[in-house]
Amino acid sequence: MTQVSQVTVQLHGPFREFAGGSKSLDVDGASVGEALRALVTAIPALGERLRDERGELREHINVFVNSDEMRWLEGERTPLRDGDLVHVMPALSGGEEQR
Amino acid sequence: MKSVTLFVGTSKGLYVFRSGAARSRWRREGPHFVGEPIYHAGFDPRDGSSVYVATNQTWGGPRIEVSRDVGRTWTTASNPKFPEGSDLAFARTWHIEPGHATQPDVVWAGVEPAALFRSDDRGMTWQPVPGMNEHKSRSQWSPGNGGLGLHSIAIDARDAKWMAIGISAAGVFESRDGGKRWDPANKGIRSQYIPDPEAEIGHCIHHLVAHPVASGVRFQKVHDNAYWREDGVSKWTDVTAGLPSEFGFAAAIHPHDAATAYTVPLDPRPRLAPEPGIAVYRTRDRGQNWKRMSRGLPRGAQLEVLREGLTTDRLDPAGVYFGSKDGGVWASADEGTSWTQVAAYLPPVLSVTAATT
Repeated sequence: MTQVSQVTVQLHGPFREFAGGSKSLDVDGASVGEALRALVTAIPALGERLRDERGELREHINVFVNSDEMRWLEGERTPLRDGDLVHVMPALSGGEEQR
Repeated sequence: MKSVTLFVGTSKGLYVFRSGAARSRWRREGPHFVGEPIYHAGFDPRDGSSVYVATNQTWGGPRIEVSRDVGRTWTTASNPKFPEGSDLAFARTWHIEPGHATQPDVVWAGVEPAALFRSDDRGMTWQPVPGMNEHKSRSQWSPGNGGLGLHSIAIDARDAKWMAIGISAAGVFESRDGGKRWDPANKGIRSQYIPDPEAEIGHCIHHLVAHPVASGVRFQKVHDNAYWREDGVSKWTDVTAGLPSEFGFAAAIHPHDAATAYTVPLDPRPRLAPEPGIAVYRTRDRGQNWKRMSRGLPRGAQLEVLREGLTTDRLDPAGVYFGSKDGGVWASADEGTSWTQVAAYLPPVLSVTAATT
């Protein structure tokens, strides 16, 4: 049976603005994906800011579990432990060409 | 007392400039949506207050923001969504167009990948238009330099069911039944960059507009020509002769006079105004003759004006406005004859919209 953990999601940069100024939220989730879904349940305005209509996480978002980017772990299936910090951050995107 | 509000979309946010009917002094507000590329702001003349903004933000993805108070406060709309199972995903909005006057709740959005969406609640939610988005010719569409975008939406002045859209690079498509069935409408267009210059599909439309009062009147800039079409005529007339360059993006039409239109030609290689510098070209006779209008503009300046960068207001005499990638915004209160600067040193200007209230 998967252990559901209590974690804190911290929002950074524009994601804080999209959440109406919320800096962080405590949620329950066994994995990064579950924590992000719980985040959107609590703050629906973040739904379309985090994912496209296919459910894929948008480009230019980095999600860290404590100090490790989730891509180097198990992505959204990365398991969480009680007290973990999940950071939702804008990816560094300098130099992108404007059309 | 009438007033004009300019919505200037830049690569780094939306700037707002307000003026009285004289259009001689402008009060700046903003930027709104700081740092976000604003491809277009559509003003809704039907209620005189709604503005629909296409912001294509790097972080958090594209959004449509809606104002009901001429750009003072904003609400985020739901994004356009492709149907479940589609291999397409909404990437950015290019253009938002209020629907026909008889359909006050209808608004249209052109997006990338090239597709048309319809809102029946004044821009808050969006539904795909399958007759356009799943058109049998779709496999023949190919992206232009800016991507595969549906960037022009032209609603007929009289007939609510008659509309046209432009796609780079596919061409013009028309519907006569309110958007259910769409047919290519490219007769008369010649494109030198495709094997068959007169092919039904494959033309790189740069900007297409419908006259707001005269039914059937259309004007467009295609990649390498300008075209005019009159009511009752199915074929486009090439009206490039008289322009200093066949290339350019911007196209605008007079708010009252059905024979007058404007464009800003560019040198096709650097994509800058050709010698002797920036000018707006005006026709008073449906493109048969063009006049260079540059009084007040910086002599010799090689500015670049993009597809949404030229527009008119609805006053009489009509105001004409353009913004350039060097961050300047220019206004003419005398139908393009003379120009004054509204703003300088903004971020690169992507779009200019004039709201007459």
